[in-house]
Amino acid sequence: MDVNHINPFLESFTNIMPQLGMTEINRQGVSLKGRFIESPGVVVVIGLMGDIKGNIIYGLNIPDAMKLASIMMMGMPVDDFNELAQSAISELVNMLTANVATNFSESNITVDISTPTLIQGEFTANASTDKVICATMNVNGIIIDVNISLEKTL
Amino acid sequence: MKTINILIVDDSPFQIALLNDSLTESGFNVVGEAMSLEEVKSEVTRLKPDLVTMDMTIPGTDGFECTEAIHEIDPNVKVIMVSSMMDDELIKKAKKLKVSGYVQKPFDQEELALLVNRIMADDTLNTELESMYSVMFKESIINLLTRLTKTKPEVVKESNENTDRNTSGISVVMGITGKCYGRVILDMSFQSAEKLAEVLLRRPAKSKEELTNVLAEVANIFSGNACSMINKRNKVFGLRVAPPTTLYGESISISKAELETNYSMVVNTSCGELTVNVGFKRGEGEWMSII
Repeated sequence: MDVNHINPFLESFTNIMPQLGMTEINRQGVSLKGRFIESPGVVVVIGLMGDIKGNIIYGLNIPDAMKLASIMMMGMPVDDFNELAQSAISELVNMLTANVATNFSESNITVDISTPTLIQGEFTANASTDKVICATMNVNGIIIDVNISLEKTL
Repeated sequence: MKTINILIVDDSPFQIALLNDSLTESGFNVVGEAMSLEEVKSEVTRLKPDLVTMDMTIPGTDGFECTEAIHEIDPNVKVIMVSSMMDDELIKKAKKLKVSGYVQKPFDQEELALLVNRIMADDTLNTELESMYSVMFKESIINLLTRLTKTKPEVVKESNENTDRNTSGISVVMGITGKCYGRVILDMSFQSAEKLAEVLLRRPAKSKEELTNVLAEVANIFSGNACSMINKRNKVFGLRVAPPTTLYGESISISKAELETNYSMVVNTSCGELTVNVGFKRGEGEWMSII
């Protein structure tokens, strides 16, 4: 997978997060991982198909997921990671990844996205590619891992 | 399916005749033609087409200026570029101007018709998918497991309820893209997965990695087959299955998704039970090109 494929993801954070009232967006680090990803609590998987194919596996811990959901719901208190909060996080992933697809299209890479699947618990995710690029984003103190598992479509 | 009214914009009478024949033969209603910016404006206002095929080179103007003029009159009119020129820069500009698709000349009649149908696909497409996808996914998993295990699996429970799912073992998650998009999830306990892997590999799986890979492959084949069956019924769907992500652990809790339609089944196999969940949502307007 191409390291240049990270930029559309970074751009998606700077495009989408301010619209939700989060303006402190920092990239904490980018690392290359193997295919196994330990769940930090909440994982959202979304599929991409087109000129490139694969999955984006977003990961964050439950307290951060609740904070994020609360900000998205205009500061409404979120005491447990309930259905509404889960739906907010899925929606965020949808918005971010749709923006990623738009950013890719700027370089004439066409991709479609699937619906997101949110999973919580203690498990390991096995990505569809041997190498996964992980961009760790810090958004207003909330840490989100963006695991990018993509390959070029032949 | 309702009539789709099309206006052809081109400066060449030969191309107009060609497009007219091709579109009419494919069952579309060609309502008129335009050869200049002025004609584009007057004909779009007068004929109210659903879709316009747009040439790029038109004397005194170009396809982009004409597209802007059309969307000023009615932003809902879909425009597809039909041009001999097609490069990155033109595609980029076309997307910016909300062009719905791009076809390069010389065009193929069937491909042009498919593009128009995808762009104009309406709610009836959803109803069509809803009426058949559960049958297709069921048939596909039964066929595959029968072939793989040489025994007849049985669907023991079916439901359209959209609920959270708590499992332990292995879950395979696959996204689906296309005119309708969604996802498929297949879960199995470790025990059942180990038995299935042993049947397929003719020896026990050596590692968890091998075990998850076997299940991912099963999920991938069965979903791919089901989506192909759906696409065969109606090409407009254009469903594609994204590569599988496998999850394994003691506690896997999958949230219910925001889907318009949802189907679950529990299949009893000679290796144990497996659960399949499939759901879809209607796709957004997407860019399409035929190269």
